[in-house]
Amino acid sequence: MKPQLTLQTPLELPSEEISNYLNKLWISEGEDNAGANTFSLVVWQPSWLEQRLVKGNLINGPITGNLSEEVINAAKSLILKNGLPLATSLYSKNLFDLIKVDVQDNSSEDLRGQFFEASISTLNPRRLITLAPTFSDNSDIKTFVSAYCPLNEENKDQTICGDLVVVRGGENSILKRGLDIVDELVIRDLPAWLWWNSSLDDSPEIFDYFSKNGKRLIIDTANGSSKRCIDILDNALSDEKSINDLNWLRLKSWRESLAMIFDPPSRRNLLDHVSQVDVDIEGDHIIQALFLISWISAKLGWIFLETSHKSDSLIIKFKRNNEEQVLTAINPLPVGNPSIHSGQVIGLRLISQISNDPEKNTCIILGAESAECMRLEAGGMADMQLIEEVVPSSYLSSEADVSKLLSSSRGSTSPLFEETIKTASLIYKSIN
Amino acid sequence: MQSSVSNPLRLGLRQERVIPPQCLIIFGASGDLTHRKLIPALFELFLQRRIPSEFAIVGCARRPWSDEEFKDKMSIKLAKKISKNENEWNQFLKYLFYEPVDLQQELHVERLAKRLTNIDKLQATHGNKTFYLSVSPNFYGSGCKALKKAGLLEDSTKSRVVIEKPFGRDYSSARKLNKIVQSCANESQIYRIDHYLGKETVQNILVLRFANTIFEPIWNRNYISNIQITSSETVGVEDRAGYYETSGALRDMLQNHLTQMLAVISMEPPGRFDPEAIRDEKSKVLQATKLADEEEPWRCCIRGQYQKGGNDVNPLRGYREEPGVDPNSTTETYIATKVFIDNWRWQGVPFYLRTGKRLPKRLGEIVLTFKDVPVHLFESTIINPAPNQLIIRIQPNEGATFKFEVKSPGSGMRSRPVEMEFSYDESFGEPSDEGYVRLLADSMLGDPTLFTRSDEVEAAWKLYTPLIELMENAPWKLPIHKYESKTWGPSESDQLLSKDNIFWRRP
Repeated sequence: MKPQLTLQTPLELPSEEISNYLNKLWISEGEDNAGANTFSLVVWQPSWLEQRLVKGNLINGPITGNLSEEVINAAKSLILKNGLPLATSLYSKNLFDLIKVDVQDNSSEDLRGQFFEASISTLNPRRLITLAPTFSDNSDIKTFVSAYCPLNEENKDQTICGDLVVVRGGENSILKRGLDIVDELVIRDLPAWLWWNSSLDDSPEIFDYFSKNGKRLIIDTANGSSKRCIDILDNALSDEKSINDLNWLRLKSWRESLAMIFDPPSRRNLLDHVSQVDVDIEGDHIIQALFLISWISAKLGWIFLETSHKSDSLIIKFKRNNEEQVLTAINPLPVGNPSIHSGQVIGLRLISQISNDPEKNTCIILGAESAECMRLEAGGMADMQLIEEVVPSSYLSSEADVSKLLSSSRGSTSPLFEETIKTASLIYKSIN
Repeated sequence: MQSSVSNPLRLGLRQERVIPPQCLIIFGASGDLTHRKLIPALFELFLQRRIPSEFAIVGCARRPWSDEEFKDKMSIKLAKKISKNENEWNQFLKYLFYEPVDLQQELHVERLAKRLTNIDKLQATHGNKTFYLSVSPNFYGSGCKALKKAGLLEDSTKSRVVIEKPFGRDYSSARKLNKIVQSCANESQIYRIDHYLGKETVQNILVLRFANTIFEPIWNRNYISNIQITSSETVGVEDRAGYYETSGALRDMLQNHLTQMLAVISMEPPGRFDPEAIRDEKSKVLQATKLADEEEPWRCCIRGQYQKGGNDVNPLRGYREEPGVDPNSTTETYIATKVFIDNWRWQGVPFYLRTGKRLPKRLGEIVLTFKDVPVHLFESTIINPAPNQLIIRIQPNEGATFKFEVKSPGSGMRSRPVEMEFSYDESFGEPSDEGYVRLLADSMLGDPTLFTRSDEVEAAWKLYTPLIELMENAPWKLPIHKYESKTWGPSESDQLLSKDNIFWRRP
């Protein structure tokens, strides 16, 4: 179980009294403890899978909002038992449909908003607001409030406190009243982030509300249909809204490893002769691989030509500056124990062919593990010069990813990501 | 296959920490350092997109310039550097402001405080202020007092002071200055800059030592016979005679830059990568460092002064003939010293430090010489097998070389030394940032890791106190030896090592 931030159970208060209550709370603490001067974090946390598993008596409560090992294991055993593809998303409707839920059973405790990983709490968010929708669409809004003071292990004398608010109720009620409550509670002078901790296919009306109202948006394109993901990214760019994607963040070690290969100036020439790129992914959610290929093509100045399908693979053709073609492919692979994040890249092969000097033809292989490297080096690659690297894949929880993002970004869309989205969107729209 | 273009996949990938909204106030803005180092470093940060939109640079000096005049002066001084990025420079100019300030005038500082409030509102800098004292060291104390009096250092989380070297002239003046500065601001607000620590290769020493398993086990008295630290310049005193005459090589280079390199190369591993943990270890090792002979310090130190040199075509003046230098000056332009570190790791290992002007090459390097093998099994192509050496090059051609013995080709079994090479250029192909880029960014980020703490500064001064006292009270015991310009210092410096059967590396 994750550390509970609040020492006391949050107090249930009518929403209109919360602001006053919090103001008084900080005033009574005196000037020295006016709360962290950091940021507000609003979390959309439906935890549909966990709610279903608890209500379906497949795991014990309480509902915490965290994707705990218990939740993951229960979901994976359901997937296995019912013959769904192993890479089925934990946000997939097919998975939800397998769980019989007794909606009337309200006995399990709902502690969403009270549990956050230390990686987030140690960033000392000034205010954590959790939107916790329940199954029953129209159930009334309830609001809870509490203060928290995470202990800083490195400096135990200094406690920086914040507060947390939970807005719980049916989705319709949240739409009608909950969003206004959140707006009132977000501290005006501090940066406010909205973390959509759910599938991007969920609750489009609520998502659209947040995407338009100026908060720094954190999404995860590993969760949601590819079309919806691309639409959201596209809209964010055209509306000039900031957007941060955990799925893009997770690509960092791949981008860094590939760039590292070409750091020595003696290898740079290879980049002018890339003829083929293969990206292997877990399952069939192509977004992360699309980002990777789009990033490479944007950086190397390739022009997108067309897409096609070959067996399960998506083939994307580009043209290099010298008019020669580059063939890239996204290959979905079945894997035994896929990540909780759908469609993660597990291998990359980049072939550089120098027609007038075939001895210098080079095959660059990045694999999430040695076995993947071995798989990619098959098929005649050994005839070329081989450069191989194993990319360490540490699948962190989404909270840890969010924490990394919060501590390294000021919220605006990274220029690199912006460039990537443009190419990815162009490619995606050409897929039949 | 060599290509000179930069790595396109690297562009935009470096994930640098983002500087928070900030107002940087430079005192001494009309001086050289501002247009030679500070503004170029800030512009580089701007080009790297690390400067937030909520940002301001306020130049302060006694000259009665306006904002526009300050911008014009900077544009003229930096014309060459900005010619390729004129559009960006024009955007960058929007951050520049100027306020005429004499730090000794209370009214001026009060006026500055009001101006800063306005700029804070205008640029939305959230009240974050970094004061950079690029002024004469005589004004550090009074400058800090003036800032405190005007209430500009009140919020310890939002205001910082960056101070250039030299911090004090000796142990007692450094302590006194520390007391004054600490009475104006918390230690956590004070950033004492040593631009050597901003160099990529100096920082790399920490990574080399503590991110690899192979080095740390042999990084001690059991395997290392001696360590040499060299920082040499080819230039003479140039136009800095006024400052240099009162400073000399000990105060200008040895006490700060070389001693910081000594600390980084010899410190214990910190418990965690945390500014205070690292500075604790540096301070500890400096406190354990002693001159090789504290009772008779003249035995472990050689001072020198460059004489004329060069040739008929390009004659070089001696130090005493330089403009602004006393013709009878006894200021040292070269110093070499031997120190020991009294701890378990380094007991008995001599550290030789040398620095000087008008030497044959401009370079900074640290040479770790390992102990000889216990038994010589093989005949060497030279007289004896050369000891293994790890040479860390700080500048130029940043990198490292490892020297070791291999079998010389042929039918016999003779050994000869070869070199294994790591070069930043060849591995990364990108120039590393100027030290000031890194240090300015760190100060605005509130990261003091690469800045010297008061106890480090004091320990470094304390280390050289016997030499300073000797230079002041009995200078004949530490005479100035002459050396010809563009040679590796006085011959007495070689004798300092040859007594131990060691020789300076000839880079």
